[in-house]
Amino acid sequence: MRKYMLKRILFSIFSLLVVVMVVMLLVYTAIDRKVIFQTDDVWNKKSNNDRIIYEYTMYGKYGYMNYVDYTSFLKTKYEGIYGADYTTQKDYKTDKDAIQKEGWKENESVKEFMQTYYNKGYKLRYLEPIKYRSGKTKPGGTGYLIAIEEKSVVWRLVDYIKGFITAENKNMVQDPELTERYVRFEKDPYSGLFAIVGSGTQHKYLLYFDGRFPFIHQNWLHLNLGTSFTRYRGQEITTVISTPVSGELKTVKTQYPTKLGTDEYVETAINFHSLSYNTGTLSDVEKTQFPDKYTVYSYNRSGMSMLETSFVIGIFASMIAYGIGLPLGILNARKKDKLPDKLGNAYIIFIMSVPALAYIFMFAALGTTLFKLPYKFAVATVPILAFILPTLSLSLREIGGLMRWVRRYMIDQMNSDYVKFARSQGLSEHEIYSTHIAKNAMIPIVHGIPGTILGCLVGAIITETVYSVPGVGRLLTQAINTHDNGVIVAVTVFYTTLSILSQILGDLLMAKYDPRISLNADKGGGR
Amino acid sequence: MNNNTSNLQNAELFRFIDRDEIASEKITAPRYSYWRSVFRMFFKKKINIVMIILLVLLFLAAFLLPIFWPYDPYENVLDAKTYNLKPSEAITYFGSNGIKWCLGTGQLGNSIMYGIWSSARTSLLLAVTCAAINMTIGIIIGAVWGYSKRFDAVMLVIFNIVANVPDILLLSVLVYIIGSGFWPFVFALTITGWLGIAYFIRTQVMIIRDREYSLASRCLGTPINRVVSKNILPYLISVIVTLLATNLPGYINSEVFLSFIGIGLSASVPSLGRMIQQGQTAFLTYPWAFWPPVIIASILTILLYFLGQNLADASDPRTHM
Repeated sequence: MRKYMLKRILFSIFSLLVVVMVVMLLVYTAIDRKVIFQTDDVWNKKSNNDRIIYEYTMYGKYGYMNYVDYTSFLKTKYEGIYGADYTTQKDYKTDKDAIQKEGWKENESVKEFMQTYYNKGYKLRYLEPIKYRSGKTKPGGTGYLIAIEEKSVVWRLVDYIKGFITAENKNMVQDPELTERYVRFEKDPYSGLFAIVGSGTQHKYLLYFDGRFPFIHQNWLHLNLGTSFTRYRGQEITTVISTPVSGELKTVKTQYPTKLGTDEYVETAINFHSLSYNTGTLSDVEKTQFPDKYTVYSYNRSGMSMLETSFVIGIFASMIAYGIGLPLGILNARKKDKLPDKLGNAYIIFIMSVPALAYIFMFAALGTTLFKLPYKFAVATVPILAFILPTLSLSLREIGGLMRWVRRYMIDQMNSDYVKFARSQGLSEHEIYSTHIAKNAMIPIVHGIPGTILGCLVGAIITETVYSVPGVGRLLTQAINTHDNGVIVAVTVFYTTLSILSQILGDLLMAKYDPRISLNADKGGGR
Repeated sequence: MNNNTSNLQNAELFRFIDRDEIASEKITAPRYSYWRSVFRMFFKKKINIVMIILLVLLFLAAFLLPIFWPYDPYENVLDAKTYNLKPSEAITYFGSNGIKWCLGTGQLGNSIMYGIWSSARTSLLLAVTCAAINMTIGIIIGAVWGYSKRFDAVMLVIFNIVANVPDILLLSVLVYIIGSGFWPFVFALTITGWLGIAYFIRTQVMIIRDREYSLASRCLGTPINRVVSKNILPYLISVIVTLLATNLPGYINSEVFLSFIGIGLSASVPSLGRMIQQGQTAFLTYPWAFWPPVIIASILTILLYFLGQNLADASDPRTHM
């Protein structure tokens, strides 16, 4: 069993890596880069060399390549020598103007620039100044010297994996002032439960509980799925989906760490679980508030994150679906070819065949006109009411799907020998259905439960778009439309991991539910 | 004596007849033709006949009407007064040609009535083409995949990888590379679309492959391609028809869905998805521009799905008794 799981997990990781590579090939190599300028007004306005340079800066920003400009090289060089007012220095000016003239290769800084980046494996490119016959520079015709490094897919993948996961350890903080270094269980004064607390780690609380979804949090492992280049400028996608969308601060009555145990309370939005190490010197106020140098904090914000919104809608929809779909499916199977079954079949055919858009809009129209429920998520006056329509519309399809399969599996079981045998033994129809048939018919349904739960984290594109729900469902389409390559890769990794995980969990759960099923290849049937 | 009486009795009861050489060659079982009994079962249900007539009418309408009613989404684009007109307003505004304007106008003054038929043609053509290509490739590869264990090992790896690349991503990348006309769109839908079908067929083939009759046939030295094509595939007809029943409306649905999220057919090709996408922005204020394409798409998909399921039921020989 252990060997089987290990093999399976290793294979999953391998296929995940290949998927990431395929996606990287698709977004970075297969699409012509110039599409990002299709609707770019700035690009249209620029001309000559300026346009080329603009293209390179954008390529750099979108993660297509590493790009260094000679001027920024000079900036770092002279800032080191002269400080902030380096622009007024004479050698800076001469070096900067050197590339606008003939014989630019003779300049020392230019030579240095070319040598450094040539050694790093960059490709150098010189854009000659474009001038009128009179000697005046054409608009956008200034000369440029740049160095470009194209990333190959393999290196891109290696870089990605390198930064993928970082774990905090007790030797992380480099500070001679820090004497104690440990990671241990402690009683958490803020939650009343225990927490794993570290000293010498970046964050103080590595694992803790609090009242916010999903109630257990950690700062131990840091997962970087990818960084957004365009839509969420420079933010990591994990932060984007897990921080509340509406940014209102939520204040609670709490105490500073040194004031714990006293009756000195403060109204503040500081999240004391988010404390991380301050390498600078502490102010006097901070010294009275904190017992150690963990003084950098973030704030509690009200509202739900994208992930939470999608998950809440998804999980309630699934609960409704299982609550209604299972009994109805069983009922349909028992009353096969009678009125309930015919009605149920009509519903299944309708839901399965009609485009999802059609019935979601029908539902939206019904809900808004008959029950006056809020239609668009953002404009709802009572926020909780806004969840009703998306949740119900999402459950419509799930109910149909569950009914269909439960009915199918039940009917398949109804003709088995063991049912005839049970009947001949004189068991009541109710007993036969509830304890024998239903139990066997549930096996494939059980397999799908982990997938349903994890699937809630992915969100639902159509439902979220129709009701403008701020969820994760539209992340991928938005990223594709804005060419947010980092997000595309991140979202793919997220989806793929979830789908692989739900397969494995489903298999495990099924094996648990039905002892006849063995995942071990050595035992059982199967070849 | 005793013998004599019994002879007499036998003679009274039985009569000797000559051996009939011709009759002994005949098989007395009733003639059975698979497809004839499939259609007998299928047409037993009266609702199927009604549905088929409806579907044929829709097909005819979708393929013939656009010839007489050419649809141009931009014909009134310069006249802002024609935008989003109610059916009654549209008929009074344009005066003539009541049929053309009987469903009102869309957001660019386009005729909804003409639009839905041209769009329905695109959708049907797309569904039939994609289903034909994907099913053919899927069934052939799936049959080999299920039968050959060596091929299975390779294909499983490919399947696990391709199935995990989000469809939307693959489609939109393809649309960027090869454009979004009708045929590029068909290409995008079929380049990986067959893989799911092949995987499904593979599982079915594996179930049947090791049955006794197939094993016996193999022992007698039947070549693999004959085993697959004569022993296994006929057994799968009802499975294949079920697959077709979900696939045909599935392509209409995907076109609607993809247009909705912005990676559908290009604007120059009239399609149900695009009409729905344009109508949905104001579907409460201008319902006449939204519901007709939705209803046409729904009727088409329901008919295809329903008929397909019933044909699949009828094509299962166990129901022929």
